[in-house]
Amino acid sequence: MIDTDSANRKFEKELKSGTAALILLGVISASGRPMYGYQITKEIDAASGRPEEKRLFRQGALYPVLRSMERSGILESEIEPSVSGPPRRYYSLTEEGGKILEDWKVTWKSTKDLVDDILKGNDDV
Amino acid sequence: MSDMIKEYLDRLEKALSGADHSTISDARGDAEEHLRSAFDAAPLESPEIPEDETLREIIDDYGTPEEVADAYRRIEKFSTPVLAGGKANGKRSAAARFFGVLVDPRAYAAMFYMLFSLVTGIIYFTWAVTGLSMSAGLALLIIGIPFLGLFLLSVQGLMLVEGRIIEALSGIRMPRRPAATRKNLGMWEKFVSIVKDRRTWKSILYMIVQLFLGIIHFTVTITLLSFSLAFLLRPVLEYSFGIPMMNIRNVEYWTPDWFMPFMVLFGVLLLVVSMHAARGMMRLHGRWAKFMLVR
Repeated sequence: MIDTDSANRKFEKELKSGTAALILLGVISASGRPMYGYQITKEIDAASGRPEEKRLFRQGALYPVLRSMERSGILESEIEPSVSGPPRRYYSLTEEGGKILEDWKVTWKSTKDLVDDILKGNDDV
Repeated sequence: MSDMIKEYLDRLEKALSGADHSTISDARGDAEEHLRSAFDAAPLESPEIPEDETLREIIDDYGTPEEVADAYRRIEKFSTPVLAGGKANGKRSAAARFFGVLVDPRAYAAMFYMLFSLVTGIIYFTWAVTGLSMSAGLALLIIGIPFLGLFLLSVQGLMLVEGRIIEALSGIRMPRRPAATRKNLGMWEKFVSIVKDRRTWKSILYMIVQLFLGIIHFTVTITLLSFSLAFLLRPVLEYSFGIPMMNIRNVEYWTPDWFMPFMVLFGVLLLVVSMHAARGMMRLHGRWAKFMLVR
């Protein structure tokens, strides 16, 4: 007997962790200026347009992805003090990061097309 | 409300126990930044909800400490190869690491900063003390307040430049832009926000302390440098210029010929040690500057 609930959760989790980096790069690149974590999560919330409880990504899970992309040189960050509250870490794409995003977009599109085509075939049957 | 954030951060740290130290501090920093930024923005969106409720929702959106810790651990696993690469790099022999400092541009830059910090120390100290006492004196008159405002602005500007110098010479990241101030503030509100900003006062403290640090940096560096050069250049001094090693009560002491190579060798070693010392002091100073000027 398969536990559908946990199978669904596992699928969703893997899908999310696979696309998180692409989404983050996309948001920062689209804004065209350095962004800090909270701004980025706001953008993603706005784009997902889903009720809060169905939020695609746990906000806290996005920060480690930002950190790791910075470590691998895709993003760069600088800390800036803010008027109120703690200093904020602003992330922006490195030159290399820009190129990587272009590559990823191509990969994403072909993956998406493939999945769409196959699922369409399923529906037709 | 800060109690709730602090409690959350502690729980997050506990959930991450056993992880790399820098991962824990990253996670804490990220969470604090996010929660406080979100909380600052919240009243604008929904003013009617009580603070605690808002914060609980924000924390809920951020994820439980366990979920968040889990995300950091997963990423840490992925990024190990990078760390491993660093370790392979660090496997250079002890000698290579010891003498490698001679080709490290950072070490020369650090040495320059160490000597230069006496000059900046004098300038900052004079500026800070003059500004503070003039502001205090002029406070009796109406121009005291604009004078204080201008002085504090100049402090911000000077410390931004100091940050840029430190970053250029040590590679430690410092702010690139002045602290963001909201544009719609009037002159008076701007003044109040600068005066209330803890960083302004920490910057002034930094400027005052810089004189003493500058004296220490300068003295230590110049002493180490002149000792190493004195040993290193012994043959030149003795053979070419006829300057004895010591002259005590008109008795000249010369280095025995067989001992000369050891003198030079000791000079080289001491020079390398001085460069390490300069680099180390620069690192410490960078951390100090970051603590005083950024946080």
